[in-house]
Amino acid sequence: MAANAPLLELRDAVPSFEESGLMPAPYNLRIMPGECAVIDCRDFERAAMFADLCTGMIPLTQGSIKFMGLDWSTLYDRQLNALRGRIGRISRHGSWLSLFGTHLNIMLPHLYHTTDPFEHVVRRATELGHTFGFPGLPITAPDRLSGADLARAACVRAFMGRPDLLILEDISDMLPEETVLPFFETMTAARDRGCGVLWFVRSSAAWHAYRKAVNIHMRLLDEGLFSLRVV
Amino acid sequence: MAPPEESRDTGRFATLVGRFAPWLAALGRLTRHQVRFTLLLIGAGWGTLRESLRPNSWRRPVIYEFRATLRQVIGGGFLSIVITATLAGLMVVSQAAYWLGYAGMAQMTGSILVSVLVREISPILVGIILMGRSGMLSLTEIGMMVLGGEVRGLQARGIDPFLVLVMPRTFAFTVGGFTLGMIFAVVSLLMGFVVAHASGAITSSVWTFFFNVLAAMTTWDYLVIPLKFVLVGFFVGLGACISGLTVSSNDTMATIMPRGFARGIMLVLVVNILFMLDF
Repeated sequence: MAANAPLLELRDAVPSFEESGLMPAPYNLRIMPGECAVIDCRDFERAAMFADLCTGMIPLTQGSIKFMGLDWSTLYDRQLNALRGRIGRISRHGSWLSLFGTHLNIMLPHLYHTTDPFEHVVRRATELGHTFGFPGLPITAPDRLSGADLARAACVRAFMGRPDLLILEDISDMLPEETVLPFFETMTAARDRGCGVLWFVRSSAAWHAYRKAVNIHMRLLDEGLFSLRVV
Repeated sequence: MAPPEESRDTGRFATLVGRFAPWLAALGRLTRHQVRFTLLLIGAGWGTLRESLRPNSWRRPVIYEFRATLRQVIGGGFLSIVITATLAGLMVVSQAAYWLGYAGMAQMTGSILVSVLVREISPILVGIILMGRSGMLSLTEIGMMVLGGEVRGLQARGIDPFLVLVMPRTFAFTVGGFTLGMIFAVVSLLMGFVVAHASGAITSSVWTFFFNVLAAMTTWDYLVIPLKFVLVGFFVGLGACISGLTVSSNDTMATIMPRGFARGIMLVLVVNILFMLDF
């Protein structure tokens, strides 16, 4: 990837309506390394679908979506998976496997995509866990954790392993007050090393404290994606 | 003016097609629906074998899933296998020994036991226990994960559900099928011997009894019996995982379970029948 190339670029990308439910309107978005794009979207499901669109999980009827200079539609399964492994993601729904403990859920993408020694992965996850207010790593099943603890765990998982892009669905209603500052700090640290951020929010309260550091502000509506002035 | 002959023929043909097209379409839909699972099974079976040969496929979560499923398959099925094998041994071995002795054909005991108990009954019973104890569990787990969006969540993180769920579980079932099958064969023969010996139907020692059984086995039996256990395990595991992975949004537990059970029974029987035809 060229140094000045966009990290994520949607160019007139029209999603397949049958597979996504998103309006077949052209979507345009460009995030450079280190940039933070905030997208206002009141509908959780629409935000999740748009996040899926950005990760190449929804076929396009026209246009293109490139991540790190690679067009999702031209890649094979193994390449797609490897590229998706470079994205840290916070999802509101369907992201926790009850088969494993929460600690394994947190480390699963990292253990799958890398060959880092297990002890290093555990250490890094534990450090991030401390950052987000855990005394260690939660080993109980995710469905036994409270919403607040799941939100913390989601943050730990998303920031694990130096991702190149962060796609963050809004969990501000679940994230405890004392975790908001570490969340901003960790996000800033990631941006400082070139990670882009695509952050879905439902209200300005979620990102108000961080507004000065935001580069792009857009609104996702039924009709498409619209630019707003960063306040 | 009357239409030309050619145009009239075309019109007649179009009417005929219009009349039969819905029937043909329905027949095609039914055929595709019926063979869909078989084709999926063949494709997924080939995919499982091919992917398993790549060292890159056996990543840490895949190995973890393999171990966890193997533990569940063998640990979960062990007691059921021992009890079923004991009951089968009591019935088949003691009855065979008694009636063959009564008919003056006691020397046939070994070959009858190998043919009936070890080669034919064991794989079917092991397959059914494997499916009931572990296959249905895998089917439900994966089916619920698909319906709950967790499988899509895995894909979003670049984790291939086929590699993490289907491949390791199928191989765990394969190893589990072989292990439980061998346990079944040994326990059933042993329990049958104990009962037959206690009742006086067999007077030889246990070593002689097992020696007779082994002597009655042909070279093919040494190949076919383990192969049956392995294939029953492979197809029960693969069938359960594929059935779980292909549930639709209209499915519920009430539709997933009966379908998975019927498919599992069918696979167990098909594997055994195929071997019966060939050998």
